[in-house]
Amino acid sequence: MRHNRVFAAFLALSSPLILAAPAFAEGQRVQLRGEIIDTWCYFSGVMGGPDAVVGSAHHTCALWCSAGGIPVGLLAEDGTVYMVLQIDDSDESAGGDTQMRLASHVVSVDGMHYERDGLNYLVVSEVVQDDDIQVLSHDDFGVVPPFAVPEDAP
Amino acid sequence: MIARALTAALAALALSGPGAAQDFSENSEARSWNLFAEQPARFEATVVDILCEVTGNCAENCGDGRRQLGLLRSLDGVLVYPNKNSQPAFTGATVELLPYCGAEVEVDGLMLEDAYLGAVNIYLLQRIRRLGDETWVSANRWTDDWAENNPDAAGSGPWFRRDPRVLREIAEEGYFGLGLDRDAEIRAELFP
Repeated sequence: MRHNRVFAAFLALSSPLILAAPAFAEGQRVQLRGEIIDTWCYFSGVMGGPDAVVGSAHHTCALWCSAGGIPVGLLAEDGTVYMVLQIDDSDESAGGDTQMRLASHVVSVDGMHYERDGLNYLVVSEVVQDDDIQVLSHDDFGVVPPFAVPEDAP
Repeated sequence: MIARALTAALAALALSGPGAAQDFSENSEARSWNLFAEQPARFEATVVDILCEVTGNCAENCGDGRRQLGLLRSLDGVLVYPNKNSQPAFTGATVELLPYCGAEVEVDGLMLEDAYLGAVNIYLLQRIRRLGDETWVSANRWTDDWAENNPDAAGSGPWFRRDPRVLREIAEEGYFGLGLDRDAEIRAELFP
């Protein structure tokens, strides 16, 4: 009995190596709600903690990063980050207009969820609802980074 | 005896599999960014279109720069996601990787692994070269590429102060994205 369990575990772990065939992850349809974030600032902490790099305080930086081709993600209400690969018909995930216009917005989406090597990926079929910016982080953090808003801006 | 051998093999597979944390820092010359979760990482990989690799929705020439590009690591088949190039200028990695679409390369940079935030196999690309090439190419082409594509961008200063699309968004919704009237109020509060 013990041999069977060990052998089954061996097969389960080794079969991907034996088959060695690149398989596409199986997608699962999901409905999610969350903020469209700049993943680099969120993951790296380069601009501060996770609460500082969402919402209004970080909006200009989010525009810069999205225009600069940094991947955007959807930060779901449960804290999971989904790397957004496509929105509606736009596959312009590297600096496209569609994703940039949604920077910092809280959206409800319908789409397909994929997992690969520890990351969550999202192909958005439809932005069902766009609630604009909801996280008023400037109340706590001002401007992130501080130079994002010029003090002498007209 | 058989069980012991299988258990040993199981442990070896578990340690070498895609899910295992591995050290790719050997011979890396990556510069630190003093990030909490960074680790130097130099490895061989194939440059892939991530949307294609994950979902099977593929495009010619990896999407010609529209799509995010990934690094399919040769050692273990793990898909690494380069979020960032080497410039401290709010710039991604696709421009740097596109010339190598489908090619086998060697890369050097910083890997981010922060389970608390969900950052797994997130990469900052600092330099790249085709397998067999001696010369490294710095992953810092983005701003030159932007300048070539935006010859009429007015003013001086870094690209993000002059980018027409960014300026249009700020002109419409303000720096905080809450509308121009609210924007003026917030700026008056923050910068009295």
